[in-house]
Amino acid sequence: MPLITIVCHGLEDDLRVDGRGCEDYRHMEIETDVVSNTDGSAKVTLGHTAVLVGIKADIGKPRPMVPNEGYLEFFVDCSANATPEFEGRGGEELGTELSNTLYKVFNNKHSVDLKGLCISAGEHCWVLYVDVLLLQCDGNLYDAISVAIKAALFNTKIPRVHISADEEGGKEIELSDDPYDCMRLNVENVPCIVTLCKVGHRHVVDATLQEKACSVASLIISVTHKGTVTCTRKVGGGSLDPESIFEMTKAGKRVGKALHAPLMKLLQQEESLGKTRQKVGFLG
Amino acid sequence: MPTDTKRVRGPEVSQSPSLFLCKPAAVFPSHGARADGRQRDQVDVRPVFVRCGLVSQAKGSAYIEAGNTKLMCCVYGPKETERKDETDMKCGKLTTDMRFAPFSCLERGSWIQGSQDKDLSLMLHESLQPAVCLHKYPRSQIEVNVMVLENSGSVLAHAVTCASLALADAGIEMYDLVLGCSIRQDGASYVVDPSYMEENSCSSVGSKNQGGLTVAFLPSLNQISGLQSDGEMTEETLTAGVRTCIEGCYKLYPVIQQALAKAVRRAAPPPSES
Repeated sequence: MPLITIVCHGLEDDLRVDGRGCEDYRHMEIETDVVSNTDGSAKVTLGHTAVLVGIKADIGKPRPMVPNEGYLEFFVDCSANATPEFEGRGGEELGTELSNTLYKVFNNKHSVDLKGLCISAGEHCWVLYVDVLLLQCDGNLYDAISVAIKAALFNTKIPRVHISADEEGGKEIELSDDPYDCMRLNVENVPCIVTLCKVGHRHVVDATLQEKACSVASLIISVTHKGTVTCTRKVGGGSLDPESIFEMTKAGKRVGKALHAPLMKLLQQEESLGKTRQKVGFLG
Repeated sequence: MPTDTKRVRGPEVSQSPSLFLCKPAAVFPSHGARADGRQRDQVDVRPVFVRCGLVSQAKGSAYIEAGNTKLMCCVYGPKETERKDETDMKCGKLTTDMRFAPFSCLERGSWIQGSQDKDLSLMLHESLQPAVCLHKYPRSQIEVNVMVLENSGSVLAHAVTCASLALADAGIEMYDLVLGCSIRQDGASYVVDPSYMEENSCSSVGSKNQGGLTVAFLPSLNQISGLQSDGEMTEETLTAGVRTCIEGCYKLYPVIQQALAKAVRRAAPPPSES
């Protein structure tokens, strides 16, 4: 019996190949502060997909149209470590697609407080370079990346700066001497991406590569904790019925909204352990 | 190093003078008539001018003009695939390329494809792929090239329409024409087929429901082949927006069909009744 028949028939009864329900995620592990050279980092493992995000804060010039805001720059690297398909320039297309989607997800006023990243209007601001590295690829990259970015932003510590005027009237930037004197970001409104794959007549959340191969199209929807949708996108070479899209949007909003509360609790718990926390690292 | 004190050199990076103007950014009111006289909250798309068969060298071509947005598309193929190792023996390959002319936007762009161009090309590809009968063209490649001559809003939507017209003009077999429509949600009201100013206006009030949505639709099959949204919207607004875009596509359908029929008649005039 071909795989697609097995998968589709199982879904009619709300059963997936690995026993999950249609809207269940695989086992997810999150660890923050894994790379010490960054200002914030996080590693997320979702089933066999592993993603590492490092955030570095640099001082730069604000964009001309918005002089009193900082900004974020995203870069996704699909290296050949993740899967042999990414050898050479194979992963470049996927990397561009992922980073362009991330720009769209964060392209609104409330996800990250950009005004808080401004140092002096029109001259200096914080630029957060968010670099995503795919370590292992087993489907559902968008979800893993968005959770990792939220965790890494939570973990980011931006040093406090003081602007002082020096003798010639120019501005001088001083970093405070205390390494613990830093600014934290409010990640309450950072959205999480939910990918819904249409397989047969049903949709599934967190599809494995097998299920993805059986689907014609997927819908990615990024949802904040309040249920606001910041970005949607249809991916894949098939077409979708408008009714399916409405159904998937509702389901995506439900799943996405439910993801935020446990995630924030987990991050705060991990933070509160402080120095007593056991670091798992990459081999755990 | 001796500095030249007699000349005043300008900045090394040249910027558009419009950035230095003192007037505040235009804030578009979220109620009242739109700048070009169309209605808010109604499916009021710009009148569209389309023509097929402009480029003699291309297998199929189309030109679309909606308000001030001007796009042209050329289709080459089906031709043999260059890279044999990636050939899927059962069906053909569709490649899309969307570029902006440097003079098309308010600020001069560059000829090198930026990430925005690549992103739009990818979305164009996703919107067109479900409609083309690729299984009828094994081991072949169909190339679609869209060039934006003037960007005055909802470029992706019109690119999708233009590209599917060009594909039809080239005689590529398709399940249906793909039409694109976009809206911009601004607070409680929306505008269909926004112009460049309407797309990029920053609203003064940090209200909810700010964003843009583009939908690519196959009218006779009632299938959505492309969907993209950004900004911040509630799920109900998004759903209502998709329905509005579908209505906009239905409005456009007869015009596009007529243009295609005219082009076919021109290319092969019916035998005269004698």
